[in-house]
Amino acid sequence: MVLELKKPRPMWEIIFSTHHTDIGLLYIIASMVALFAGGGLAMAIRAELFIPGVQIFEGQADFARFFTVHGTTLLFLWLIPFGAGAGNYLIPIMVRYKDMAWPKLNAVAFWMIPPCMFLLWGGFADTTWNAYPPYSTLKAPGPAADMWIVALKLLGLSSVLGAINFTVTILKMKHPDLPLMKMSLFSWATLVTSLMIIVAIPTFAASLVMLYTDRLGVSGFFNPEMGGDPIAYQHLFWFTFHPEVYIFVLPAIGMMYEMIPTFSRKPLFSYYSGVIALIVIAVIGFGSWAHHMFAVGMSFTEKTVFMVGTLAAVPSSAMHVFNFLATMWGGRIKFAAPMLFSVGGILLFFSAGAGGVVNTAMPLDFLTHDSYWVVGHMHLFIMGTITLAFIGFIYYLFPLITGRMYDQRLAKIHFVLTFVGIALIFGVQHILGLYGMPRRVIDYLPISELIIMNQIASFGGWAIGTSFILFLYNMIKSAMFGKPADPKDPFELGKGVEYYYDYARRDPHH
Amino acid sequence: MGHGTPEWIFIGVVVAILIWVGAEAWNVEHALEYAPPNSETIRVVGQQWFWSFQHADGTQEINELHVKEGVPYRFEIVSTDVIHSFNIPDFAMLMDAVPGRVNTMWNIFDEPGEYLIECREYCGLLHQDMRARLFVEPNTGNTTATSQSESEPTISQGTGTATVIAPGGSQVGSSGTGTMRVVEPGNLTQSESSSNVRTGNTSNATTPGTGAGSANGTSAAGSSVTLSIPVGAATPGNPAYSPDPLTVSKGEVITVSNDDTAPHTVTSGASPGDADAGQLFDTSIMMPAGTADIDTSTIDPGEYTYHCTVHPFMTGTLTVQ
Ligand code: HEM
Ligand SMILES: [Cu+2]
Ligand SMILES: [Cu+2]
Repeated sequence: MVLELKKPRPMWEIIFSTHHTDIGLLYIIASMVALFAGGGLAMAIRAELFIPGVQIFEGQADFARFFTVHGTTLLFLWLIPFGAGAGNYLIPIMVRYKDMAWPKLNAVAFWMIPPCMFLLWGGFADTTWNAYPPYSTLKAPGPAADMWIVALKLLGLSSVLGAINFTVTILKMKHPDLPLMKMSLFSWATLVTSLMIIVAIPTFAASLVMLYTDRLGVSGFFNPEMGGDPIAYQHLFWFTFHPEVYIFVLPAIGMMYEMIPTFSRKPLFSYYSGVIALIVIAVIGFGSWAHHMFAVGMSFTEKTVFMVGTLAAVPSSAMHVFNFLATMWGGRIKFAAPMLFSVGGILLFFSAGAGGVVNTAMPLDFLTHDSYWVVGHMHLFIMGTITLAFIGFIYYLFPLITGRMYDQRLAKIHFVLTFVGIALIFGVQHILGLYGMPRRVIDYLPISELIIMNQIASFGGWAIGTSFILFLYNMIKSAMFGKPADPKDPFELGKGVEYYYDYARRDPHH
Repeated sequence: MGHGTPEWIFIGVVVAILIWVGAEAWNVEHALEYAPPNSETIRVVGQQWFWSFQHADGTQEINELHVKEGVPYRFEIVSTDVIHSFNIPDFAMLMDAVPGRVNTMWNIFDEPGEYLIECREYCGLLHQDMRARLFVEPNTGNTTATSQSESEPTISQGTGTATVIAPGGSQVGSSGTGTMRVVEPGNLTQSESSSNVRTGNTSNATTPGTGAGSANGTSAAGSSVTLSIPVGAATPGNPAYSPDPLTVSKGEVITVSNDDTAPHTVTSGASPGDADAGQLFDTSIMMPAGTADIDTSTIDPGEYTYHCTVHPFMTGTLTVQ
C-alpha cells in the first residue's frame, strides 16, 4: 500500500481520498508547489538587489508585495504543510494504526490550504509577514491585506485541526504494544510540534480578528488614537511566532533523527536525550517571544527576562546537534543524498544558532535588529536547516512513494549547489547587516562594499534557484522513468539497517 | 556512566558560554540604560517618510540633525503615523518610533563627522528612502550645548547646506526668507530648490504678489489661483489635488494649500524617479496647514504632470495657457 505511484490510479481517487498516505501525498505536492512559487519570488528579489537603485520593480510598494508573499508562502505553505504531509504519511505507520484518528477531518484540514494559496497570491499584500499595525491596519491597501488576514486565519485553523488529529492519533490510537518511550523520535517530534501548535496558534488567530476589525475601523485595539497599543499586537504575534519557529524546526529534527542513524548504519547515540530535548524546548520555547521586540521600548527588566528565556532554550538545540554528531561518530556513513542534506543541515544549524545567540545578547541586537543580519539568521535556519532536512527527506521518501530511484548524481549536484549558495547568500547577509543595511528595502546606498556583498548574495541565491530546477527535473523524470528501487533496501545500505517504514511489521490493531 | 559523560561535558560548556554571554550583555545594557542627568533632549519625530528633529532650544530640523561632539544627548522618539525605527548604524543606535509612545535612547557622539540616519522598520511606500543625515560637529569648547541662544538657530559650518526651521515656523514670515529650503526625503545630497517657489505657513503667509512672481513683472502677475491638497490625500485612491486638472494663464501665481494632515509637495514630473523631477517647479515639503506659491511666469505654455515626493502615487495635471 505504501508504494503510491507504482500502480497508477485515476487522479480523482487520490483527490477525494481520506486515506492518510493520499492526504500525505497531497500535502507534499501542495507544499512543493509553494516552495517553487515562493522561491521564484526570491529570484526576482535578488535580481532587484543586484545593483542599487530601482530596476525591475515599479517601486518599494511592489517590492514589498514580493517579499511579503515570498515569506508568507514559504513559512505557511511550504514548511508547515510539508511537516504535516510527512507526518500524515508516516505517523499512522509508525504508531501502527490503520489511518489517522479522524480521516475526514484530516482531508478537511488539507483542503483548507489551496484556497489560502489563492487568497494569498490573488491579493499579494504588502504588509510584511509580521503585518505590524498601524501600518497593516491604517495604511496597507485592501483588499490585499484583508485577503492576507483571511488566508492566515484559515491556515491557522488548518494547522490546529491537523495538530489535534496528530495528537489523538499518537496518544490514543498507538498500538497497545508500543510504549511511548519506544516510539520513533519522528513521532515524538510530531507530537511535540502538534501540542505546541495547539497552544501557540490561537493567540495569533485572535489577533488576526483584531487586525481585521481594526482595518474595518470598528475597533482600535492597536490604534493609539482609539486607546489601543500597536505593541500589544507584537506581543500577541510573537507569542505565537517565536514558538512557531520551533514548530517549523522540530519536524526537520525528527526527520534527521530518522535519516542520520540509518545512513550512519549505527543506532542513535541517545534516544532519551532526544526525547528530553524535544520536551524541554516545547516548554521553554514559550518564554522567549519578546526577543524580537528589544527595540520597541521595553524596560530593562523585560529585556533581561526575555534574554534569559531565549538563552535558556539554546541547550536543548545543542543537545540535538550533539546527538547527531555522536551518532555519526564511528559509523559506516553512506553519503547518499538524504545524508548529505542532513549533515549540511546540522552544520548550518550550528552556525545559525551562534548567530541567534548574538541577536539575543541585548546590546548586540541593536546592531542586528531589522538589518540584513536577521534575514541571514532566519534563512540559515529556515533554508539552511529546515529546508535542507525536508529536501533530504523528500529524497529519502522518494523510493518509498514512487517505487523508483531518483538520479543520485543529479541529487549530489543539487546538494553541492544549494549548500554553496546558502553559505554565500546567508553568510554574506549577516555581514551586510553589520554594515547597517536595513531589511525590506528595494534600494541601498551605492557603497562598493554593499554592492559587492549584494552581488555575492544574488549569485548565491541564483545558485540555489538553479539547483532546485535540477531537483524538479530529477523528481519528475525519476518518478516516471527512474530505475525501480528495491523496496526492502532502496539505498543499498546492506543487511541489518532498519528503515523507518518497516511496513512488514505494520500489524495495525484495527 | 561512560556513555553519557561526553554529553554532560558538552552541555556544561554550552551553558557556561551562554551564562557568560548573558552576563556580559546584562552589564553593557545596564550601563547604556540610563541617560546622564545633564543630557540635552532632542525630540525625534518619525513620519511617513521623513525624520524631523526638535532641539531643546526650539529649533527644528528636517532630515538633518546637527549635534555637538562630546555632549550627552537624550532622544525622545515618537511617530505620528505608523511604526518607524530610528537608526544610526555607525553608533549602533536603534529605537522604534511607535505611535502613542515616547521611547528614549541616549548617546554621546565622540567622533565628529557626517553619518547616516535611516529607518529600519518597514513603513510603506518610501521606507527605503527614509534617510537623514547626522552631523556631529567638533566641540570647540567656547560654547557648551546648553548655552545656545534661544532665538538663534543652529547653523552648521562647512557644508553650506544646513537647513534650519525656526520654532513653530513663526520666524518664516518675519525673517523674510523666501527661499528656505527643506531637504527632500531620500536625498542624501540635497538638491537646490527651485527658485520660483516659496514655502511658508498659513499663519504668516504673505499675500500673492509679494512672492517671487511679482519680481518677474509679467502681465498676469498678481492674480492668483488656488490649488488644494484635500484631507485624505495621503491615502491611495483618494483625490490627491483639487482642482485637477488645473488650468492657469501664464504668469498667474498658484497658491498651494496643504489642507491634509500629512506633509506633501507639488513637484513637477510624473514621479520622484524622473530625471527632470522638480526642475520646473517644486514646493518642497509643506507641513499640514502649510502653503506655498508656484509662479507660472517662467513656465512655458503646455501641459505638465506633477506629483508629491512624499506620496508618489499622488499626481495631478497642470495646464499653462
Ligand atoms: C530553531 C530555529 C530558529 C528559527 C526557525 C528562527 C527563525 C527566526 C526568524 C524567522 C526570525 C526573524 C523574524 C522576523 O523579524 O521576521 C528570527 C529572529 C530572531 N531569532 Fe531566531 N530562529 C531560530 C532559532 C533561534 C535561536 C536558537 C535563537 C537564540 C539563541 C534565536 C534568536 C533570535 C533573535 C534574538 C531574533 C530577533 C532578531 C531581531 O529581529 O533583532 N533564534 N529567528
Ligand atoms: Cu524568536
Ligand atoms: Cu521605514
